[in-house]
This record gives sequence, structure tokens and C-alpha cells, in this order.
Amino acid sequence: MSNPIVLSSRVRLARNYQDIPFDVAHKPDAAAMCIARTSNALRLSGQDSGFELLRLIDMDDVQRRALAECRLISKDLLRDPATAAVLLNEAEGLSIMMNEEDHLRIQAIRSGMALQEAAEACFRMDDALSRQVSFAYDEQLGYLTACPTNTGTGMRASLLIHLPMLTILKQMGNVGQIVAKVGLTIRGVYGEGSEALGNLYLVSNQVTLGRTEQELISAVTAVGHQLTDMELALREKSLQNGRNALEDSIYRAWGIMQYARCMGQNEFFKHWSGVRLGAAMGMLPVKLATLDAMLEQVQEANLQALMESTVTGRALDEKRAECIRAMLKD
Amino acid sequence: MLCEECKVNEASYTLSVMVGEELTTRHLCGDCMAKMNMNIASGNIKSLLSSILSAITGNDTPAEKQPEVVCPRCRTTLSQFTKTGHLGCPACYEAFHEQLQPMLLQIHGRVQHAGRKPLATEDAQRSRYRQEDLTRQMEQAIAVEDFETAARIRDQLKELAAKEAEA
Ligand SMILES: [Zn+2]
Ligand SMILES: [Zn+2]
Repeated sequence: MSNPIVLSSRVRLARNYQDIPFDVAHKPDAAAMCIARTSNALRLSGQDSGFELLRLIDMDDVQRRALAECRLISKDLLRDPATAAVLLNEAEGLSIMMNEEDHLRIQAIRSGMALQEAAEACFRMDDALSRQVSFAYDEQLGYLTACPTNTGTGMRASLLIHLPMLTILKQMGNVGQIVAKVGLTIRGVYGEGSEALGNLYLVSNQVTLGRTEQELISAVTAVGHQLTDMELALREKSLQNGRNALEDSIYRAWGIMQYARCMGQNEFFKHWSGVRLGAAMGMLPVKLATLDAMLEQVQEANLQALMESTVTGRALDEKRAECIRAMLKD
Repeated sequence: MLCEECKVNEASYTLSVMVGEELTTRHLCGDCMAKMNMNIASGNIKSLLSSILSAITGNDTPAEKQPEVVCPRCRTTLSQFTKTGHLGCPACYEAFHEQLQPMLLQIHGRVQHAGRKPLATEDAQRSRYRQEDLTRQMEQAIAVEDFETAARIRDQLKELAAKEAEA
């Protein structure tokens, strides 16, 4: 379900095997054991239909980066392709990454505001696997993870959220404060440092120990609703106060997206944000789902995969513009 | 008020951290707040951990003067851990227990796990699904102020928990 503010919900669980060291980057035997044990457990659990085992070493660089752009695997999984692998069920938005920072990262992505559903998918997988294998677990500290910031539930629940008006009206400082007060964190998704290209942010829980999964999910969901209300109120108000200025910028973005012949990634993010805002406010005749899919499909590696080449620069930017035009026509 | 982290900029954010059951507040400037959020969110936890650790052990003690602790299983040393922010293996939690305890308290505000457990049996799994289901129904009942239904579900949950304790 498309949502005017929240693009997607993601939950991931960190799990480790008791008898294998955390960092297997330079230990090919341990890494292979992780992959074999997990694949086996999945098969024995009977939950393996739709899953495919992908070893990063068997994929080319473009394919790997394209998966990361679609957020089916993390960027960190790309760090050591020699040992990393993923059990992927693309149709269900489910992945089990292996040999990232932790032995296992069970991840589920759902579109819109659906943390509960994503969490349940992760829990089902966690339960299915934990009947076959034993994970490192301590009565006091919960699930033991490579980094103490994940100890306990090992769970990170996050929302990908589009906040153009809060950003333009310089309210992100306040937002940061609201979010920090309830033990959550917010950061830009795309771009370097503190910039948030496309006005896209990731809100997630910061603590993992001492709260139940349900408490953490409720907290992230509640903040998601709160930010949604704030953003919607500002959108409403800007229409009343400065309809022309806001409309003008949205239609300009719309014009450029429909007609440009060459578009760099940063420029894309800027116009994409305006168009999604316009679409969410009912001004533009384009589906939110189309725009959300576009966000992944016109990124570098996805375009390169389409072109079956590793070109960058102008040729890539032209392909991006072509893709955008084609998607907006449908 | 000056930022407590960099002690240069004016503090404009209040960061609330639970330490044990007490809420302590830190006053930070925008830059340090962003850095803090970034460190936690990106998992680039190195600087965060070392700042927490130095705050706990006291800045005055140089690392090399502290006695070295080694994990008996994976041979990771305490100083390796504080440098990288990553533990070597599950047994490191036991080996570095003394140093980890205050660190976990700083990061999470609590040190007793409250979440899910690995499943032992299929029965336990069924019971847990049932409990999760009931808990959600109860929350929904409370949301629409149907307290009668909520109370009935609460009793069912109690019964299930009692059964689990027996097993
Ligand atoms: Zn500062
Ligand atoms: Zn160890």
C-alpha cells in the first residue's frame, strides 16, 4: 500500500552462531560453515520455497550493487564479497544475509507503514531457523552480536520516510529532538554526511536491549505517525499560504522529469522529491508506487544492469532520463 | 550553555539517555547531535564506543596502563575490542563482562534483555504465536475502550503464561 509520507518499513534481526567467531572475513572455512549451516537449516525448516542462495563472489559487481540499491541486501554486505552470501526471496521481500557484521541478518521489507507485518515475517523466519540451529543467546543480555549496539533483541526497525516540507521549512532540528527523546534516531538515506538527498530519511530504534521487540516497533510506528501528521499539516498550510510558490516548484520538477534528456543522480533526487510531493498532494497524475519503484530503478547499478555495461557519466545520465520518461508515461 | 561534547558551540539539543532507571540529559550542539545520531545509525560505532569507554574508565588512564584482558576462546584482547568496537566471538561477552556492563548501560539504558528467546520446541512456538496474537487483540480492544474484552484476553494471557512456567 502506497503511503503519502512513509515509503517502506524494514525490520532486521541480527543472529550469530555460538561456536563461530563473529568476523569471518579472513576465515574462509568459518564463512563457508555459516553459509552451509544456514542454508541447511532453512531447507530443513520447510520455509525455503521462493528462496535462492546467492554467493556474492559468483555475481558481478553491477548485480551486487543493484541488489543493495533495492535494499534487498545492505551496503555492508558488499564489503567482503569473497565470504558474503544471501538467501533471497525477492517476491516476499525477505533476505537472510550471511557473513555481514553478524553471521545472520534476517531482513523483511514491506511498502508503506507496515512494521508489524515486516517484524512478523522476520520472527517467523527466526523461529523456523532456531528450531534447527542454536543462536548465541544469554539469559541476561539476549542475543549476542558482534557490536554491543545490537545486543539484546538484535532488532533494528526502520521507516523510510519522505519529509520535504519539514526539510524546506528547516524543522529537521526539531524533528531530531523529538525522535531522540524517545530513543530513536533519524538520518538521511542518500548522500554524504548530513545532507539528505530527496528529503528521504530513515527513522529507526537506537536501543536494542531491555525493551521487547513489540515496544520498539510501537515506538518507531508512533514516531512515524507523528512525523506524518507534522509533514501533512505543513503541506496543508503551505497550500493555504503560498499555493503559487509551492505549485510552481512542483510543476517545474514535473516538467523536468517528463522532458529532460540527461539527468545526474543528485539532480534526480531533487526533482523526484518535488514530484512525489505533488503526487502525494493529488496535483500530479502519477502513482506513488511508480515513483517509489523509480527511486531504485534509476540508480547507477540498476541502470548499468539494464544497459549491460558499466558506463558512467553522460551516457548513464541520458539512460536515467530515458528511464524516468518511460516510467512516467505508463 | 556550551555543548558538553565539543565545548565550543552553543548547545541547542537535549539528548536524554536512560542510565539504569535514571534519566540523565546531555546538552549538545547541532553538529555533535548529528554526529551522535550518525554514529549510532550508521553502525560506525567506533568513536562512540571509545568516548563512552573513556568516560567510564576515566580519561586519565592511558589504555596501555590498563591490565589486558583476553578472550579465552578467540584471543581477542580488550584493547582490540575498544579500538574496533567489535567483539571477537560470543564468548567475548563473558570475558569482557566487567567492561561491557557499563558500556551496554550507556548505550541501551538497561542491561536486562526483555525480548524474544530462541525456541526450544514447536509447542513453545505455537504458544508464543498465540500470545502475540492475543496481545495484539488486547491492544486493539483497549484502543476502542472495550475494557471488558481486554480483561478477558488478559486472563487468557495469564493462563498461557502460567502453563508455560509449569512446562
Ligand atoms: Zn558540540
Ligand atoms: Zn572471543
